[in-house]
Amino acid sequence: MTRWTVDGLTARLERFRLGPVDLDLAPGRVTAVLGSSGAGKTTLLRALAGFVPIETGRIVRDGADVTARPPEARRLGYVPQGLGLFPHRTVERNVSYAFEVKGVVDWRARTRPFLERFDLLPLARRYPARLSGGEAERVALARALAAEPDLVLWDEPWQGLDVEVRHELGLVIEELRATERIPVVLVTHDPTLAFSVGDEFVVLRDGAVVFRGDGARLLAAPTDAFLARFVGFENVVAPADLEDAAAGSLAAWLAERAGPGGVAFPRPWVDAAGPWEGVVRSARPTPEGLRLTVRAGALSVALALPPPWPTPIPAVGDRVRFDLRTEALRPLGAEGAGS
Amino acid sequence: MSGGRVRAPVQPGRREGVPWLVLQIVLAGSLLLLFVLPLYALFTYASPAQIVAAWNDRAVQAAIDLTFYASGIAVLAAVVFAIPLGYLLARHPFPGRSVVEAVVGIPVVVPHLLVGLGLFLLVLPGSPLFRFTNAIGFPVYDTIWGVVLVMVFVSAPYTVLAADLSFRAVDGRVLEASRALGAGPATAFLTVAFPLALRGVVAGLLLTWARAVSEIGGILILAYTVYPGGIYDGPVTSTVSVLVYDLFQNGNLAGAAAVSCVFLLIAFALFLAVRLGERSGWVPWRRGELLP
Repeated sequence: MTRWTVDGLTARLERFRLGPVDLDLAPGRVTAVLGSSGAGKTTLLRALAGFVPIETGRIVRDGADVTARPPEARRLGYVPQGLGLFPHRTVERNVSYAFEVKGVVDWRARTRPFLERFDLLPLARRYPARLSGGEAERVALARALAAEPDLVLWDEPWQGLDVEVRHELGLVIEELRATERIPVVLVTHDPTLAFSVGDEFVVLRDGAVVFRGDGARLLAAPTDAFLARFVGFENVVAPADLEDAAAGSLAAWLAERAGPGGVAFPRPWVDAAGPWEGVVRSARPTPEGLRLTVRAGALSVALALPPPWPTPIPAVGDRVRFDLRTEALRPLGAEGAGS
Repeated sequence: MSGGRVRAPVQPGRREGVPWLVLQIVLAGSLLLLFVLPLYALFTYASPAQIVAAWNDRAVQAAIDLTFYASGIAVLAAVVFAIPLGYLLARHPFPGRSVVEAVVGIPVVVPHLLVGLGLFLLVLPGSPLFRFTNAIGFPVYDTIWGVVLVMVFVSAPYTVLAADLSFRAVDGRVLEASRALGAGPATAFLTVAFPLALRGVVAGLLLTWARAVSEIGGILILAYTVYPGGIYDGPVTSTVSVLVYDLFQNGNLAGAAAVSCVFLLIAFALFLAVRLGERSGWVPWRRGELLP
């Protein structure tokens, strides 16, 4: 049971600046590091692993400062982007690598349980080039856990995997959380997948932390338009769109409740008794129901119509009424204000 | 459309297709012919009997022995010195790297006669370096060490460049994975970087060897005649290239051609063995190669 803390970590990689980043990585907790590409997610992960020189700040493992330690002395289970499997080694020799470099004599016997646990015994003699995406993912994870790590660092676990394997991988992460009791840090640009496994969330933008906390808080109070859009709010209204609104219009109503950075809200439901009306611009079926976009005055609003939906579905040009209440609104701060 | 034999994928290609293909074949064929015809001339000028005689000639055998011995040492030197330099260039960005890369290119662009002259002046009898090399048992003038020195100078850059490219091609994330799994930098090099770069490095060593055995310019000046001494205890001789030059200068065209043929046969056999080994997949550096 190892706890890692990161205090005020900053790093510089050529012109890119990262941080300051504070993290508290508790055993059995999954921290999801989110951000668009170029935000510094991978740099943060590589800094934790010891591949990026740290400018200021500390990385502490169970009270001991490990900031200056080389990667091989940090007890990591590191799965880099693209997995980083050794192409010249079989599946078995990939998984056994950590035992071999430690000079473990019975590395073969020590490796076997990891091959069994991830269903890799039938693939033991295969080379990585011959593995499917899901198989390669399992090899990378087995190899990382065979290092008996105190911290798992995993870059873009879902990248390039099809839907079914993604689901399977989600279950693996759940199991990891339950059995290994070690902190896990996942890096991803996909918020929906992060929400399915993450306990803690760190959102990076241009190298800076713009949010740190749990998922409920991230969804309840996105601090700015970037974050709101990033976590999946489809309706993010900028302050400029709320200016000079006609009295009694939706825009005027929103303007009264918006923050300096505008306002965000989830898709309102279509409701014949709702206070607002819009003209349908498009209607698309999704598993959660119909997704409508309507024009309400000068604003474009995405609406939800849960199943069962009426047939025929609303057509372009139809008028629909919808319900939007003050409780659903998330007033936004100016961009980059931080959490 | 009337019987166009070349099926061009796009419409304009139909009219251009045939002349374009002919042009390519003619140009490429001319060059290939240039590569092959001199060898054809060598093997037809010398009669089979003369080639066999050259094969059995002790003087020729001594020259061949010396050439392969010296070039073998040059390849070993490339393994020891050129591979680390290539790794350094590929993996560690340092100030002045482009200067180092330019220095590595010197032997490729400087005429080799000048190389011999430069080395000769460096170890001019009586010079400090002359006394030093003699004192430590590596006299270079007219010894096998002189041959090796010239060979390393002209041929090692090929291994440096091949190693540089090969190590550069190794995915940095694979190396980082090995470090994170507990390997120190040296272990990561030996267990991951080197095996993955091995194929390219071997190709570079093969080029180095080919360049070393074919060297003449520098050797003409520094070690025209090689006397026994140091690690060479054979008869007084010279490298094959110098021997052929010598025979030619003395007007013995058939002899020069016969020795050339013997040498080419051995060199080709060696080259083919390595290439075939590579294709058949039994050589270790093929293992685990990314398959299509």
